[in-house]
Amino acid sequence: MKKNRPIQALNEKARAIQSLAEGEQATVEALQEGPPAMPVGCTTIFDTGWETNPRPTYPVGNCQSSAKDFHGCAGDCWWPAQVPDGLTNHEDFDKQCPNVARDWRVLKYD
Amino acid sequence: MSSKTTRLLAVAVLLMGMNAGNAFAKDMFYYIGYGMVQVIDGDKDAIVADIPVDGWLRESDFSADRQFLYVTAKRHLIHKIDLGEQRVVSTIDVSSDGWDRFIYGFDLAPDGKSAFVNLVSRSTQKGQAVAAAPVLAQIDLEDGRILRSIEVPWGSVALVSVNNASSIYVIGKDIVRVDVSAEEMKLVDTFPMFDKQWNILPLWDNTRDNGGVFMANYYTPEFMGLLSIDTGSGEISDIRLDGAPVFAYSVIRSPDKKKVYAVMDELIVIDLESRSYEAVLPIPGGTHYAINVSSDGGKVYVSGGGSTTIVYDAKSLKPIKVLQMEVDGMDFRRLPF
Repeated sequence: MKKNRPIQALNEKARAIQSLAEGEQATVEALQEGPPAMPVGCTTIFDTGWETNPRPTYPVGNCQSSAKDFHGCAGDCWWPAQVPDGLTNHEDFDKQCPNVARDWRVLKYD
Repeated sequence: MSSKTTRLLAVAVLLMGMNAGNAFAKDMFYYIGYGMVQVIDGDKDAIVADIPVDGWLRESDFSADRQFLYVTAKRHLIHKIDLGEQRVVSTIDVSSDGWDRFIYGFDLAPDGKSAFVNLVSRSTQKGQAVAAAPVLAQIDLEDGRILRSIEVPWGSVALVSVNNASSIYVIGKDIVRVDVSAEEMKLVDTFPMFDKQWNILPLWDNTRDNGGVFMANYYTPEFMGLLSIDTGSGEISDIRLDGAPVFAYSVIRSPDKKKVYAVMDELIVIDLESRSYEAVLPIPGGTHYAINVSSDGGKVYVSGGGSTTIVYDAKSLKPIKVLQMEVDGMDFRRLPF
């Protein structure tokens, strides 16, 4: 095993994907590798998300309840995989469900 | 006399009449929600008006004459709300010329015709995504035109105008001071926070509600502190609090300047003299984003981050009323009359 390759293809599909990447030049750069060094588009804000900091006593973890934090996280794309992305793909997400505790059953987004 | 002036005078007379015999100002609160601003009468703690707006709201600022409330929506719209007529009277979009621009920080300029905004911008060129460096920009509130701008650090999220608006503090990983008094804006100073391991989320700008002092809590690996910026002198100060940190989204000082109230999953009372936590009370119903206090200091309001606003008696710290808002909310602003 080559020590300078952190991920190795183990099956046929993985090897096929690897072959596609042979000779490919870098087209993107990790955000932490030099300017701009900060995310752009979604998550433009510097913050580590202290709601997730573990606490020794009640309440431990996220907001209580998570629904309370839904709109706050969605609009600015704090958690774009879990809630609608309000900056690019779902700008009007709030119109379906302006009150999450009351309207969550009608929330629809791709 | 125009019909608009007549209506404004009527509102003013009504508010003054309701305040007769009260040594303190009458408070009106504005719930900054999703697709709506709700108006709360601070005497009755009752919702008295709903003002429909387009979009999910973030920053807000009152005009100096207290006739208008400006709110940012979807990070690129700015709505102007006539508080007398209780409706949106104009809207501008800072995105233009093929650029998506997002507002992270909003502060009205003293001329009443323009505003300072921190803009993060993106576009596409030849199919490739392009991100422009973030700028502090002064924009025309009539049409959203950028009048002048200067590059500022990435990650900035709040603006504080100080020294009679001669400087703007841009708050992000650090605080940079931009001199805006001359035609050309200049970055003149930096107050370090990142190197001191401060982690700060200054999304709730209650400077006006807080007696002209911007205040936000911050965290280091060891403690919670309070950052404050005196908008009169421009002085930046911080208070390190004793004891294990309690998590809070936003803070506000009591009118007598002896306490600071903070909120997230708990209502937190901080004694400024001893620099310690006086009370930490879990909030029924859980997390709230925003906190405010009545002008007389007798009531504390926690709101946003859901659809409830809870009114507390400041002395006993007992909930005295729960308002069920129509929509979820982001902030809860106070305007005394």
